[in-house]
Amino acid sequence: MGAASRQREVLEELRRQIHLLERKPARRAGVLPSGRPEVDALLPGGGFPCGSVTDLVGGPASGKTELALRALREAQESGAFAAYVDGRGELYPPAAVALGIDPARLLIVRPPAGERGGGEACREAMGGLWAAEALLASGAFAAVAVDVSLRPVPPRRAEAMLRRLRSAAEKGGAAALRLGAPRDPSTPAALRLELSGAERSPAVRLVRGSAAGGEGEGDAA
Amino acid sequence: MRPEPAERLPRVLALVLPELPLQRALRARSAHGQLAVVEGDRVVHCTAPARAAGARPGDSLVQARAACADLAAVPLEPAKDRAALRALAEALLSLAPAVEVAFPDSLLLDASAAGIGGGTSEEAETGLAERALALCRSLGWRGRAGIASGKGPAQMLARHGAQEVVRAAPGEAARALARLPLTALQLPSGMEARLAAVGVTDVGALSRLPPETLAHRFGPAGAQAVRLACGEDPRPLVPFAPETFPEESWDLEGTEVGVLESAEPVLFAVKRLADRVATRLAGRGLGAGRLRLTLGLYPRGEERLDLSLARPSADAALWLVPLRERVGNLRLPAPVRELKLSVVEAAEVPAEQLVAGDRPEATRALEVVLSRLAARLGDVSLLAARAVDRHRPEAAYQLARFEVPSLHRAPGEGEEGDPGGGAGPVSLRPTRLLRLPRPVVAEGEGGRLTVLRLDGCAHGVVALAGPERLAGEWWSQPFDRDYYRVRLEGVGDVWVYRDGRDGRLYLHGYFD
Repeated sequence: MGAASRQREVLEELRRQIHLLERKPARRAGVLPSGRPEVDALLPGGGFPCGSVTDLVGGPASGKTELALRALREAQESGAFAAYVDGRGELYPPAAVALGIDPARLLIVRPPAGERGGGEACREAMGGLWAAEALLASGAFAAVAVDVSLRPVPPRRAEAMLRRLRSAAEKGGAAALRLGAPRDPSTPAALRLELSGAERSPAVRLVRGSAAGGEGEGDAA
Repeated sequence: MRPEPAERLPRVLALVLPELPLQRALRARSAHGQLAVVEGDRVVHCTAPARAAGARPGDSLVQARAACADLAAVPLEPAKDRAALRALAEALLSLAPAVEVAFPDSLLLDASAAGIGGGTSEEAETGLAERALALCRSLGWRGRAGIASGKGPAQMLARHGAQEVVRAAPGEAARALARLPLTALQLPSGMEARLAAVGVTDVGALSRLPPETLAHRFGPAGAQAVRLACGEDPRPLVPFAPETFPEESWDLEGTEVGVLESAEPVLFAVKRLADRVATRLAGRGLGAGRLRLTLGLYPRGEERLDLSLARPSADAALWLVPLRERVGNLRLPAPVRELKLSVVEAAEVPAEQLVAGDRPEATRALEVVLSRLAARLGDVSLLAARAVDRHRPEAAYQLARFEVPSLHRAPGEGEEGDPGGGAGPVSLRPTRLLRLPRPVVAEGEGGRLTVLRLDGCAHGVVALAGPERLAGEWWSQPFDRDYYRVRLEGVGDVWVYRDGRDGRLYLHGYFD
């Protein structure tokens, strides 16, 4: 056997081993900083847990979107991609850019008019949740914000989809941030943060922290 | 025997596909039974089981069926054979700088550059031949290879050599060809018999004859035959340049498969087509940006699926993710009798050098999920924002199709213009903008705004900042707005404006 053949075999073996190492995206572990130190201090582990869903719950001007965008920016800081499932079609990108988001590394998913049209709000919501599940499970994103109204989805289906979101986050290792209204059903999630924007700066309250570090409650403003 | 002037001749790898029309017919079938390719009513090629039953090339179809009652026959279709040969040439472009299509059954690869990667020329050339044969096998073809200086000698060795790969070192072609029969030279009709009559029965014997004598006896063909017998063939390769994007089809009619009735076998067939199309595309250094899968239905009609990919790619595995999604969700109104996968758009795929810290698997995962989403929601749903220099808030950005950034693109690199657009300080912009501004009712005392009614609910005004006047576009759709950031009791900060045209207040966004 010639030197070149041996060299080729060694290279093939190395390629095979590299392929084995690289065949799945690295599972992320740990936490994602929220971008607001006072919120990190409130969160078990000091940030949003990766591989889990965190519910950010609040009224229409409670500051939950800004908190999610700050976390997406933190995810981008590490060179990763971030995604925002904009089921309501209300995200205002100039504000995201003003918060430091790199727009080229932020995927915005908006279900098409066909998905939301025809009065089939449930289908629209399900399309958004399906997209969120795919993004979370892919392993391609460090953080995914999910802004989809659950109001048109029947409660049982909503619960099932939320469970699937949790499984997808576990599989892909992304930090999932679900933006919801106070009356929305909760994700079987590690954390639930309630935000209130009535004060000078948004107030954040940790209501549940079952998976990430025990039950707990706390406030930050 | 005169050695060929090896230094002048190109090194050529010839691939010959024996009985190509029969191979093509068998590629569409999963079971290889008694099958013949016929031209008119004459058998041209037949499978081994058919031969074992007594059928022979040259028989009439009636004769062949008399010997082999279950013999299936397919017509000889030279145009399809040529197309198949071109398709294989396209795939082989990944292995050699130039490929010539030599009808009816050969491909000639430029092997001059085989040794660039190191090693002896023998190892390099034999390795190239083995890779080419492996690629042929992966695409369902069976071939033989010959390597020599010059096209003719390489083809002769491939067609008549004792092994699957036969190589003649530079200057050794005449010796390698010497034991081949005269038929290897494909002489004009009558010439071979006349040479045999004088005792010339192999290539070696012919190479020892003086070319002048042969030229005198048989004209230019005689002189050329002697030169070829001596391993001399100075003809250059004529490189094949594909003009259209690849397309592969599978006609199930007439095969034992017949029709496909559910998504699963359709997907299996699609995978086969995708592998072939991808290999051809990769040979040209291209990636598909858009694919079209056409399903011919039985007895008539067709279903067409167009598929956009997140980034041009020649990776069939990547295509299959969205294809599986689309085909899986398809309700087939009738069985499928034919499948065709074509590349509608393609672009060059630049090679990217990996450096430490790169995570190509993450990029691949991104491409896969984007392709899945594009297949289900359409690529108009996958967006990236770009700032636009406009004062009208709802026009201060554009959403364009999301493109997978280059592996080495630094965060922030490549952004265009002012990220906040021209609409003033972006920190004063809401995170949510309503698609349609909603009218609100204001209540006040002594010229001071005290209450805003949103959707019928009254909210006390805690604080108010503004106005910020935004106006312009008088040449098209003029607007004139005074924006206020208002903190409402129990709600938070909202963005409202007073429209200068009608004097009314509108809610335009939330500082959520």
